[in-house]
Amino acid sequence: MTTPSKPGINRRTTLALMGAGAFTAATPWVARAQAKTIKIGMPTILSGRVAQLGTSSRNAVMIEVEKINAAGGLAGRQIEMVIRDSKGQPQEAARIARELVNTDGCEMLIDGEASSGSFAVHEVARDIGVLCIHTCSEASSLTADPKQHIPNAFRCVRQGIHDSIAGGNYAAGIAKAKGLKKWATCSPDYAYGRDTTAEFVTYLKHFAPDVEIISETWPKLFQPDYTETVTKILQAKPQALYSALWGGDLTSYIDQANIYAMFTQMEVFAVNMADYTALTVVKNLPKGIHSGNRYIKTFPATAENAAWGDAYKAKYKEYPTNWSWQNATAMMFLSEAVKKVNSTDGKKVAEALTGLTIKCPFGADGTVTMRADDHTLIGYAIGWGTTIPTEPYVPDVQSGDWKQILALEAEWKKSKGYT
Amino acid sequence: MSEVRAETSVVTRSADSARPRPWYFDILIAIVAFAILVTLPMLFTSKALPDFVIRCAAFGLFATSLNLLVGYTGMISFGHGMFFGLGAYGFGLLMQRADVSIPTAIVCTLLISAVAAVVIGAICVRLKEIYFAFVTLAFQMLIHSVILSWQPLTGGDQGLRGGIKRPVFWGIDLSNHTHLYIFSCALLVIGLLLMRQIAQSPFGYTLRMIRDNPVRASFIGINVWRAKLTVFVLAAIFASVGGIIMSLFVSGAYPEFAYWTISGEGIFINMLGGVTTFLGPMVGTVLLLILNDTATRLTEHYGLVLGVVILFFALGLRKGLMDFVVDWLQSRRESSKGRHS
Amino acid sequence: MDLDALIGCFASSACVVTQTTSGLIIGMLLFLVAVGLTLIFGVLKIVNFSHGAFYMFGAYFALTGYQLTGSFTLAMLCGAVGTAVIGLIFERVFISRVYGRDVLMQLLVCYAFVLIFDDTVKLIWGPEFKSMGMPDAFRVPPWFIAGGIVPPFYVLLIAVALAVAALLGIGLARSRLGKVIRAAAQNPDMVSSLGINTAVIYGSVFALGCGLAGLAGALAAPVRSMTPGMGFSVLIESFIVTVIGGMGSILGALIGALLIGLIRSFGSLGFPLFTDGLMYLFMVIILVARPTGLFGKDVA
Repeated sequence: MTTPSKPGINRRTTLALMGAGAFTAATPWVARAQAKTIKIGMPTILSGRVAQLGTSSRNAVMIEVEKINAAGGLAGRQIEMVIRDSKGQPQEAARIARELVNTDGCEMLIDGEASSGSFAVHEVARDIGVLCIHTCSEASSLTADPKQHIPNAFRCVRQGIHDSIAGGNYAAGIAKAKGLKKWATCSPDYAYGRDTTAEFVTYLKHFAPDVEIISETWPKLFQPDYTETVTKILQAKPQALYSALWGGDLTSYIDQANIYAMFTQMEVFAVNMADYTALTVVKNLPKGIHSGNRYIKTFPATAENAAWGDAYKAKYKEYPTNWSWQNATAMMFLSEAVKKVNSTDGKKVAEALTGLTIKCPFGADGTVTMRADDHTLIGYAIGWGTTIPTEPYVPDVQSGDWKQILALEAEWKKSKGYT
Repeated sequence: MSEVRAETSVVTRSADSARPRPWYFDILIAIVAFAILVTLPMLFTSKALPDFVIRCAAFGLFATSLNLLVGYTGMISFGHGMFFGLGAYGFGLLMQRADVSIPTAIVCTLLISAVAAVVIGAICVRLKEIYFAFVTLAFQMLIHSVILSWQPLTGGDQGLRGGIKRPVFWGIDLSNHTHLYIFSCALLVIGLLLMRQIAQSPFGYTLRMIRDNPVRASFIGINVWRAKLTVFVLAAIFASVGGIIMSLFVSGAYPEFAYWTISGEGIFINMLGGVTTFLGPMVGTVLLLILNDTATRLTEHYGLVLGVVILFFALGLRKGLMDFVVDWLQSRRESSKGRHS
Repeated sequence: MDLDALIGCFASSACVVTQTTSGLIIGMLLFLVAVGLTLIFGVLKIVNFSHGAFYMFGAYFALTGYQLTGSFTLAMLCGAVGTAVIGLIFERVFISRVYGRDVLMQLLVCYAFVLIFDDTVKLIWGPEFKSMGMPDAFRVPPWFIAGGIVPPFYVLLIAVALAVAALLGIGLARSRLGKVIRAAAQNPDMVSSLGINTAVIYGSVFALGCGLAGLAGALAAPVRSMTPGMGFSVLIESFIVTVIGGMGSILGALIGALLIGLIRSFGSLGFPLFTDGLMYLFMVIILVARPTGLFGKDVA
């Protein structure tokens, strides 16, 4: 941290100095920083409608922290997590992030905020230069937009554009096989829903050019009743429906669409269906909904992934969420990066993280990579399949092809003016 | 309800008239307060303190401006937060898109808020009590949905991203946190001073009369509608100064700033601190922020803690803290007077 | 904007029937919540800001009731009665202390309980969302009426809400208790000076209002997922309904709820991105034209 009287020295250079052992002045903060434990701050959402985001993120982080601490900690320092509730308010997220670093002496941040909160934390990271890993925000621009890019922030989250390319390819295959030409969309009216849907449509048409979108509905996020959007889609009589609804909104939508027998009238592609939060909650899950994977312990079908899912379930009496694996992966990255440079210095760890590939149970080929040019996660397990109402819920997942995803993503970035 | 109002207003008036202070006295207090605020970070090394004071400045200006409506004029606005949001978005957008200097952006933002307030106020201020509250709420929600829908301009739910640039002006560099701190303190003190002058002016007493008896006010030739609209616009301007400070603090603007919960928080701050004294909302702001910051440190059941504290104020003290203190002082003074005579 | 879709809809009976029933469904559930709100305001002069929390309790009670008994009827009873009991306790212990006090103080007490109730639900049922699932009896294909699609469950829902509306209307107009309630709304001092215990009246009206919100929550439980804080959006919409209809008017709540339901269902065709905005706009227009709402009496 910068001492108030020396505005010229920012946090990163301070840390670098200390890492080099050249910083001997005994300010109280330095004494704390060199203490045995290393504090990692985590602003997240623990109350309100998406409290599950925070609780399942925290659970996953704590599982990994226990492992890391049992194995000797980060470069010999035991991790102490400081986790606070922002209540989903961006100004609180910013305030807490600053406080965690400035007052509580946290040396790194795991940002468990969604949407606007993650951008607020990102600005704090830009301002005070602390190492920050975003673990919940899927907003594309957070890392894709070069204006957002800062050397000390990373994003360890699945992304809509990847899902959409894999999904577009998968859906186009089915559309061609079954002759699905008329499509409708129903996605939540906010950045994630709009971007993901637009991207899905783009790639669906890319792979199956004769598809047309005949109806769009945009319910509000957390809308309790979807009847009007269900009936609107039924009026349009599409052959297939795409939806980026998630969590409780998706289960409400399924329950409400079910009594209109919507699922017997069209093929449904719901990218966020194959997540335990939704799968285990819906009582009458219709058969054969096409879904992208979120977290599912049978995909990738490896012993490591199954073991991780079971360990989580044994500990917390529920299955992990999509947020869980992302947070766990962030901790794995931190641990590996620190090992690589044998230092907890924020700047060195950031350099080590850039382009780092680690072994990970959630990787498509057993590894995941923190891509160097935009600090975002790639190589994670991504796939689409159809649901059944009982475990394993999505028995047969078709893996997405990362080569294809990366090639099309590069084009997409160019078209957006990001490169 | 009206009885309670009348009673408290008597208290205010007697408290006001007890110490008729010349205008420069307020300025003196303001200068001293500013001096204290500026020296605070030198006395305490805590880095959280400047952050805390900046947030106090943002919410304090907002809450005090709301009190011009609630406490002085008896207009319970549930939509005051829209001007907080307009301030944050107006300023943020001007800085990101228009490439102007910070003072220009601030002046333009305040003008935008004032124009919006004239339009919205012209429709709202005719309505009475709970209906006024709900129409202002409806306008707030309308503005919030516009911010969410108008994605190309506002960034939708993700807010204004990419940070707000802060070009140096008059030697002030707001990307330096110390400068930002002093700048926020200055805005706070100047804002409070101006609002104090409004409250103590003849116009301020017209507002009190409208609150206590609108019929009598219009009887003696006061244009109630125009007076209400004027104070509505003035309050909006100060609220958007609060929004500007907040957008500088978080280096962005987010739709949550224009959501009704900000208005709710403003009302709550007023009740916490008390609406019958000028500084009540400021006290309330400090209380709420301390409460918020400690509760989020200690528990994730923030709602439970905050709820119980609110109950203590609403059912235990039965009034805001400053109201309680003023009444207590008053009763002590009276009882001692009684003993002397 | 997609006005063609809206105009096109009016040309087809199937579309009109489907969208109208969908408007009725939204409207009738809203009515059940809003009528409690308006009743409580009419008699107790309290703006019950915590009303959404009772809707939430209704849904959660129904969930637990359904899990324990497996009967949807019992689940609905659980939701309505359980919520009414909590409402009664809430009124006797807390709300009764703020009668006649400043509106802001009343709101504050209610707001405190919104926070407390939400956290209580989170503590008891957990932060993750829940779903009750459709009872087997209603897992049948939808009916087709004049080409429009009408699910049987929603027919039940509309029937229950209409029955409640009729019972309330008749009860208030004819029964002794109803007359006393109406009298208490007009002049509470007169009623108590006649030797009628206003505490009983107030308590029962509040419990009734909360019970209705609970019933709405229970009815919605099979089709809407439950989370702590779920009552909030419903509360805002039912406020809009009561303000449009006029605070204190039961007929107003019914008309207001139906109007909002229809605006939502047809609005989503014509203005898919501005359906919410349409509601607020409608409310502003109504209030500017008639400051006390469609059926409201002048505020004293």
